[in-house]
Amino acid sequence: MRIFKIINYYSLIKYLAWREISTRYKQSFLGFFWVVLNPFFQMIIMSFVFSHIIRFQTIGVPYPIFLYAGLLPWIYFTNSLNHATNVLVSDASLIKKIYFPREVLVLSTLFAKTFDFFISAIIFFLLMIFYQIPFTPFIFYFFLIFIIQFVFTFALALFLSWANLFYRDIQYLLNLIITLWFYLTPIIYPVEFFPEKYRFIFKLNPMSVFINAYRQVLLGGDSPKWESLILGIIISGLSFIISYLIFKKVEKDLADIV
Amino acid sequence: MNLAIKFEKVEKYFLYTHQKTLKEMIQALFKRKKTLERIHALKNINLEIKKGETVGIIGRNGAGKSTLLKLVAGVSQPNSGNVFVNGRVVPLIELGAGFHPELTGRENIFLNGVILGLSEKEIKSKIDQIIEFSEIKKFIDTPVKFYSSGMYMRLAFSVSVFVDPEILLVDEILAVGDNQFQNKCLARMEEFKKKGVTIIFVSHSLETVKKFCQRVIFLKEGKIITDGQPEKVIYDYLKNEKIL
Repeated sequence: MRIFKIINYYSLIKYLAWREISTRYKQSFLGFFWVVLNPFFQMIIMSFVFSHIIRFQTIGVPYPIFLYAGLLPWIYFTNSLNHATNVLVSDASLIKKIYFPREVLVLSTLFAKTFDFFISAIIFFLLMIFYQIPFTPFIFYFFLIFIIQFVFTFALALFLSWANLFYRDIQYLLNLIITLWFYLTPIIYPVEFFPEKYRFIFKLNPMSVFINAYRQVLLGGDSPKWESLILGIIISGLSFIISYLIFKKVEKDLADIV
Repeated sequence: MNLAIKFEKVEKYFLYTHQKTLKEMIQALFKRKKTLERIHALKNINLEIKKGETVGIIGRNGAGKSTLLKLVAGVSQPNSGNVFVNGRVVPLIELGAGFHPELTGRENIFLNGVILGLSEKEIKSKIDQIIEFSEIKKFIDTPVKFYSSGMYMRLAFSVSVFVDPEILLVDEILAVGDNQFQNKCLARMEEFKKKGVTIIFVSHSLETVKKFCQRVIFLKEGKIITDGQPEKVIYDYLKNEKIL
């Protein structure tokens, strides 16, 4: 299988991810803390708006932590897609000169964002202690859900990376799609907030499946809803296979286009 | 196998769109301009390069020299025909492509090293030699954005020459740094030659090509015009381009 050859590029992926992590906040005073502060302040602002001005019913946990459980995976998702969309464009000089499998570039971006995600998750666990939400063994499902989300994100990232190389319109289009997608995903509101007849949208939207599952295992102290999670696995797996195969087809022409 | 590189009936086209945006496209439609052009970059190239050969490629801008190197490097694929490459290819093309300005010289050595296919271990064992060769020991822990362009190039070149290439692609890079450093680079290339590294050398400096290469190929508009003895091919080139 070609896909396993990527292991040979372990050092390259590691260094490219490290380059992204270590250079991003150079020349800024708070530097690295922005990784944690940014989502945290977004959560504070949104919490204020949605629990004091517009009131949402939540699943029996305080709104800030309910929101944060959805917001963190969402920020991870959008940051990954935004960066992956530009990664082939910004590393064009490498693509034109040196051969290596191009998915290395996309993958290293995702790893850099994964690092951010795990760092900012520390605040989430501190909040859990603050709100006295019991830690249960179900928390470990978090890693399973994360892996599925990673596969889904990787699938979209692969597609966006090459598509943006052909037409830079993709990056602007992506911003619009992400805005729409945000409102169609139960991040700021619980699923129950939507009228029953429209709720099927959440079943077909993998991001909604993941966020519900995160909340279930972290805040609800329960196992994820398997029927919807399995649908999420199927959608993620299929989109990854299709996206990867197309990427490998397009890959050999990339150097001629950039 | 005694061959390092083999081209069989290689054809390469590029599609060039004259208008990139919708607005330009509509304008072109009204003015009946050409919208899509197919550029025939390499025409029926047959080529065999033996292991350890030092081959110069000369020709004017747009003759297909860089395209040829891209095919050898494996970053670009031919539209038809076959390209066989046997050995680790290291491109010395526009050095420092993988450098990040915010990282220090030392960090960039690691980054560029893994990009060129070294393992971390190999880089660790070579890093002192690389720094030594680059002659910028004093600034090695300074971000490269503070480097002069000469220092930048020297660092990049130093990383590339310590990769232990089997096939080295050199594109117009000996315009690097001052005279003294250029001589050092050439000396390093001579070492490679003695070690049996296959070198493909693209340059506009006919003097260097004549001095350095055993064989020269003259490309014009994507075709090989002559291939052989340096003096003869360079003479052909000068005559063909009406410089003589």
